[in-house]
Amino acid sequence: MLDDLRFRLRALFRRDAVEEELEEEIRFHFDREVEKHMRLGMDEREAKRRARLGFGGQEQVKEDCREARGTGFIELSLQDAKYALRQLRAHPTFALVMILTLALSIGANSAIFSVIDGVLLKKLPYPHPERLVRLFLSNTAYPKFPLNPFDFRDFRARNRSFESMAAFTRGDMQLSGSGEPVRLNGFGVTSGYFRVLGLQPELGREFDLQAETPGNGLQVILSDGLWRTRFGADPNIVGRKIALNMQPYTVMGVMPAGTEHPGNDYHAVAYGENVDVWWPFSFAGDPNRRGSHFVEGIGRLKEGVSVTRARAEMNAIMAEIAREHPDAAGWTVLIVPLYTEIVGSNRQMLLVLLGAVGMVLLIACANAANLQLARASERQREIAVRLAMGAPRLRVMRQLLTESLLISFAGGAFGLVLAFGGVRALVSFLPAGFPRAHDIHVSAPVFLFTLLVSLMTGILFGLAPARQASRIDPRQGLQSGGRSSSASRNQSRIRSALVVSEVSLACVLLIGAGLMLRSFLNLLHLDPGFRQEHVLTASLSLPHAQYNSERTARFYDQLTANLSALPGVENAGAGSDLPWTGYDENLGGFIIEGKKPPPNQEFHARFHLATSGYFSALGIPLLEGRFFTEADKKDAPMSLIINRAMADRYWLHEDVIGKRISFEDVPKKDSDWTTIVGVVGDVKDQPNSPGAEPAFWWSALQRFDSDMLIVIRTYGDPALLPDALRDEVHKLDPALAVADMKLMDKIVDTSVSTPRFAFVLVGVFAGLAIVLAAVGVYGVIAYTVSQRTQEFGLRLALGAQRDDLVRLVLGQSARLVAPGTILGVLLTLCLGRVVRSLIYGVSPADPMILGSVALLVLFVGLIASYRPARRATKADPMAMLRAE
Amino acid sequence: MGERIDLPQGTLDLLILRTLLNGPHHGWAISERVQQVSSEVLSIQQGSLYPALHRLERRGWIKARWGTSENNRRAKYYELTKSGAKQLEQETEAWRKLTVAVGQILEGA
Repeated sequence: MLDDLRFRLRALFRRDAVEEELEEEIRFHFDREVEKHMRLGMDEREAKRRARLGFGGQEQVKEDCREARGTGFIELSLQDAKYALRQLRAHPTFALVMILTLALSIGANSAIFSVIDGVLLKKLPYPHPERLVRLFLSNTAYPKFPLNPFDFRDFRARNRSFESMAAFTRGDMQLSGSGEPVRLNGFGVTSGYFRVLGLQPELGREFDLQAETPGNGLQVILSDGLWRTRFGADPNIVGRKIALNMQPYTVMGVMPAGTEHPGNDYHAVAYGENVDVWWPFSFAGDPNRRGSHFVEGIGRLKEGVSVTRARAEMNAIMAEIAREHPDAAGWTVLIVPLYTEIVGSNRQMLLVLLGAVGMVLLIACANAANLQLARASERQREIAVRLAMGAPRLRVMRQLLTESLLISFAGGAFGLVLAFGGVRALVSFLPAGFPRAHDIHVSAPVFLFTLLVSLMTGILFGLAPARQASRIDPRQGLQSGGRSSSASRNQSRIRSALVVSEVSLACVLLIGAGLMLRSFLNLLHLDPGFRQEHVLTASLSLPHAQYNSERTARFYDQLTANLSALPGVENAGAGSDLPWTGYDENLGGFIIEGKKPPPNQEFHARFHLATSGYFSALGIPLLEGRFFTEADKKDAPMSLIINRAMADRYWLHEDVIGKRISFEDVPKKDSDWTTIVGVVGDVKDQPNSPGAEPAFWWSALQRFDSDMLIVIRTYGDPALLPDALRDEVHKLDPALAVADMKLMDKIVDTSVSTPRFAFVLVGVFAGLAIVLAAVGVYGVIAYTVSQRTQEFGLRLALGAQRDDLVRLVLGQSARLVAPGTILGVLLTLCLGRVVRSLIYGVSPADPMILGSVALLVLFVGLIASYRPARRATKADPMAMLRAE
Repeated sequence: MGERIDLPQGTLDLLILRTLLNGPHHGWAISERVQQVSSEVLSIQQGSLYPALHRLERRGWIKARWGTSENNRRAKYYELTKSGAKQLEQETEAWRKLTVAVGQILEGA
């Protein structure tokens, strides 16, 4: 055993010595054999011939000896690598071009894979994340709707499918104390919320069931980040009281670092460590009134329970609840695995991007294969010599393959360096609110991926040329002194096929980029329904302890009035939400005077609040009636502004102004009715939503919300206003935090960030692809032109015009590019389904885009072959004739 | 010289070890000796000897040293090691048993 090891190690590390010894040993044998034959009377030549015959192929024997030494593989690889390095150093331009193009495409692949790894492949940071699910309600009008707290309580009590279940809802808090008050991202959570996630507080404990009863709720759990930054990581913080929303909250616990928010839909906080505080969600009231839906459900399935089984059970429970409480009728339960919920529609986009970048790599591979093929034919003589010397064909193949692998690994190494930069750029460019963005790094799986891709790339582009080269017939290779015609004909077929496929892939990418550009432009040029320029927005949250409904109304009224009076301000308002920022899908079920809803349905629309200045500040046009005024105050008749979609849904072709709806189950007196006073233009939830949802606004003087968004329209640059806004707020209440100051421009920009991300990336890949494909076309045409120089010279000598030659070469190029383009277009038509979810307002078979891409590709193909065509005309007929 | 038969798989090792039982030899001598002794009935490609020698050396059954040949040239000599001798014994025994058994079957049939 030990001998064996020593022997192998010597063979490996004293390789040169061992090789020399082998050489000497074989020479000794050979000489003795020759001597023997000569003693028997042969002449020297014959003796040598016999000795060679008796011995067999020397190279083969050496090879077998190396193998017998047990280091054959490593040794051979080292030898091959050395040989390959020498070859590459002898052709630095060739090597550089190959390595750089591969580095670019492998790097792009690694960067996209980093995103995929971080977002799609990495497990969610909870124990057994596959058992976590989100719970929603669903009906035909609202396929994915939040839960009613009482429904939730019944779900929790009656189910058997779940290990635990919890509800949560966003509710930010203001931390005051030292310095400027800050707004904290907060969530109200039921007891057991962290147990569902599988997490435990680092200090203290989570809320118990008692905390769900109103009045017991002045408790809080802090995030690790908040505990460190604001409380100096005080180890005795549990039990201390801190001032939140101007009230003393007792700290119950501190969550460990890495406690990630599982995501939420309504007033979303991005996934990740983005929550600062959790407070106990408490609720009370009449359990028969189940019309309001605003909590989000999450649950942990028992081991072995499938989503389907859980859904069946939950729906049975929901049906039970509906029998007991008619208010809750009409809903089914929707259960979505947490992973699916978090990754969502981004999965499709990421896979499309991976496909796109994979195509770029394939094109680069085709190019590399073409270059290798061209080089292999230049090296035919060298290879023929090696074959004639007794090198086994497999060995020659191996050597050529090693060269390809060396190139691809060099490309991969550079690519990884590029990926480091690329990932950083990608992350900073990710669409707003992209899930798990903080999980995207160039990590171990990315290294592995790059290694694998490099290996496969090397084999992919190296195999065909290596096989091709090893098939060379040594006799023919030596005789023809360069190229054997049948091999080169076969080769040119392969090379043409490669170029055709390159062109078709580039075509697919270009069409994809075209479609995405079109979608992006469509979204940009959409009429948003409001005017985004010169608008500053901010968010305020009034602490309940100081602000009852009346004070709240007065505060917002006063603030917007003061802001409107500022110099440079056109007008200012406040509302419960802003366009395109995600919507809290509250169902405002109501009754319409003189109308009956279809059976088992109710009238509904989204509800909002607005002050009198809100619409004009946002630039939402008034279509009929009037905006709110000072007169729509507390004791005045309730008034309502609706959008066009609501008017069309319920009062199509009717005069809407003056119509009444009620939010009471059985309206009795006049004051139970709300009168429509105005109709405003539609604003969709998101720029790419199919249409606007019916919606209405209450006057902020008649209904109240402590959390409102301030909207200020200025004459000049709104970016100059934040200080003035803060001053105005603090003049009214110095303890308030002004949060989320944003320009409306920015919000609009953010809302198209996903289509822009997809378009820019696919665009970059398409650009890379068409350049690579052009290089491929150029390579093949240039090569054939150099092969046909003699023929061209002859043609010129026979009277052909130079223009004829140009036409000939360009025609040849068109014969490559045209089929490639057609193939590409056909491929895109097949792939259309894949991108449908990523495009907006354009068909995957858009003839404009298909046509212009086809023209572009043909044009690029012609440009790429123009230079070789010019060279063809420079063939000198006289030189040619002399050479023949 | 009659018709030559190819060497059965694995027997080359046995022949090399047996040859070295008489003392150290260099590769060419082993090759000559094997061919002489086998009355030139066995066809051995001389080249195949060397991989076999290297393999035996790796297993520790023979060891090599450089010495001076009868015509005064540096040559690589192989000699049997203790474990090589043991291996030879075992393999010879196994070979005998095999040939006897195969012989009996062929005779009996």
